[in-house]
Amino acid sequence: MRDFLELAVSATASGCVYGLIALAYLLMIRPTGIINFAVGEWAMVAAFGGYVFLTKYELHYLLGMGIVLAFMLVVGWVSERIAVRPLVEKGTAILAPILALLGVLVITREIISISFPPDPLPVPYPFELQHQKYFIIGVTAVVFLGFWAFFEKTLWGKSFEAVALNRRAAALMGINLSRVTAFSFAGGAAVAGLGGLLVSPNISAHYLMGVPLAIQGFTALVIGGVGRVEGALIGGLLLAFAEQLTIRYAPIPSGFAQGVPLLFLMIFLIVRPTGLLRARA
Amino acid sequence: MRFLGLVACLLFAGSAFSQTIKIGVITDRVGVSKPYSEPATEGVIFGASEINRRGGVLGRNIELLIEDDQSRPDISAALARKLVDQGAVFILSVSLSPATQQQQTVTMEAKTPQMTPMNSADYLTTQLQNPYFWQTGPLGSTQIATLLAHARSKNFRRVALITDNSELGQAIAKAFRGTLEKAGIQIVADEVVARGATTATPQMQKIRAANPEAMFLAGVLTAENVLIFRAYKELGVKFPIHSSYNLSVPIYETVAKGLIDGITFVDAYDPDKPEAKAFEAAYKKATGKDSVNLHGYGYDGIMLVADAIRRAGSTDKEKIREAMQQTSYAGVMGAKGMKYSFPEGKRAGYDPNGMVVRVYEKDKQGRVVHVGQK
Repeated sequence: MRDFLELAVSATASGCVYGLIALAYLLMIRPTGIINFAVGEWAMVAAFGGYVFLTKYELHYLLGMGIVLAFMLVVGWVSERIAVRPLVEKGTAILAPILALLGVLVITREIISISFPPDPLPVPYPFELQHQKYFIIGVTAVVFLGFWAFFEKTLWGKSFEAVALNRRAAALMGINLSRVTAFSFAGGAAVAGLGGLLVSPNISAHYLMGVPLAIQGFTALVIGGVGRVEGALIGGLLLAFAEQLTIRYAPIPSGFAQGVPLLFLMIFLIVRPTGLLRARA
Repeated sequence: MRFLGLVACLLFAGSAFSQTIKIGVITDRVGVSKPYSEPATEGVIFGASEINRRGGVLGRNIELLIEDDQSRPDISAALARKLVDQGAVFILSVSLSPATQQQQTVTMEAKTPQMTPMNSADYLTTQLQNPYFWQTGPLGSTQIATLLAHARSKNFRRVALITDNSELGQAIAKAFRGTLEKAGIQIVADEVVARGATTATPQMQKIRAANPEAMFLAGVLTAENVLIFRAYKELGVKFPIHSSYNLSVPIYETVAKGLIDGITFVDAYDPDKPEAKAFEAAYKKATGKDSVNLHGYGYDGIMLVADAIRRAGSTDKEKIREAMQQTSYAGVMGAKGMKYSFPEGKRAGYDPNGMVVRVYEKDKQGRVVHVGQK
């Protein structure tokens, strides 16, 4: 029983991180249809921000966190202005901004790789080691509740949903598409950054941390579905529990458990490509 | 800044002297091996600058041709070919073992001497019969044998093994596994932490449930190793940890603060060795920075190459090969009194009794507690 409870907390914390990355994808996919694989690198940028402000300059955790998230808002907004908007305004196919954002991914990683030492860098815990997982779970719960309320209860949120349902109709109703797109990228970067910041005390800040997070987050998104905010969290939690329960209890070498996310990805893409939760009509 | 000066001097030397001796260096500047390759490459650059400052080799300066293979074997072979075409008479490989292995397909065919001063995979000199290749990094099997020799006094019968899923981590784990089984020690849990994992709790739970007397750590990915230490502390387990040489990388002193006290690790570096002390002082004076053991690998590598060319008396590759095989050289790395050599046609030149076991004391790499395999 003790084992299972320890594992449940561990899997929930990991699932929350996956869920935040999935939410970052979702925020951008819903109104634009663009899959932005650079979210993993954005998480990495925030982790390095955590190293700079929390480890190097030893700012108070909340202040450092606030600065990093504000910076990530700017990163997302700038990425949209440079890599997405010009292509969207030219009416290119959806693949063009996706490829441009892959370029952003590579450039971001190279900038970090050149700017920082090659070794993983420490990012401090806000509390004791034993409490970090509960902190991740708590912060994630607040973020998801906030976004759920935003989309369900506010006019701004409804405008996002309207753009997601029909961009042309939303534009005809007076919704500023460019602004919605810019906000979705800025919000996506901040959420991805939050995921990176929360996980970085565990895995350290290092320049190769982005790709695994991007894959795990994308798998969580496919499992949960792109239609609803809560789908991202459910997908993340399911993925993390499947991973960790397999490692702990399945009678197979733990190395094989690495295939669990890919197995989930394939199963859901084949059997239920819309994910567990469908968008509301 | 002073280090940039060294690089600039080397580049200047390369352009100013047409009769330079070209040495190729294949490193990793952006891939998974970067944390190890970068300091090792700095050691190579520093060593080359020292050699040139003292008049070069055979009256000629050394010119380094440095290429980045990102630890990718597919790129690595092409870069080896490029270096051969550019006139490199020797190639130093300071990237990942699989990449070094791939380079051998070129150096064997082009009959160009190649050496890795830091790779530890056992297969590098056994899978291919390449008389133009040498390895002076301590073998994985030597590491575990040294660790086991130290642990022998504890009479372990049941141990756990944990590693990551990198190729090198797997190779070292394989060497650990073979040696442990040969010694009649039962491996009661054999776990892998995948690259990019966010926790090692389930693996550590399995190990705890198996109730081992000690845990051997073969992983080489720093972030994943730190995850293992966190899970170890969180779950409150108490069995001792014995680690591969990966824990000799000083980054653990900062990134795993509060998690590593008491962990023993095998190392190729004895800070009390006179050659190591002299190297540390010279490096500090020239670059203004403190050196770490990884710098020593690269430094020894270029010094071994220069020594072989000097003894060959020529840059003829065949003569260099013959001279290299006759090497007997005391470098920065290794236990006190250790010399690199390739006896009886062997091409793995790190003395099997040249490794040491050290222990972390608080968050610092501490004293040597054991030397060699006896």
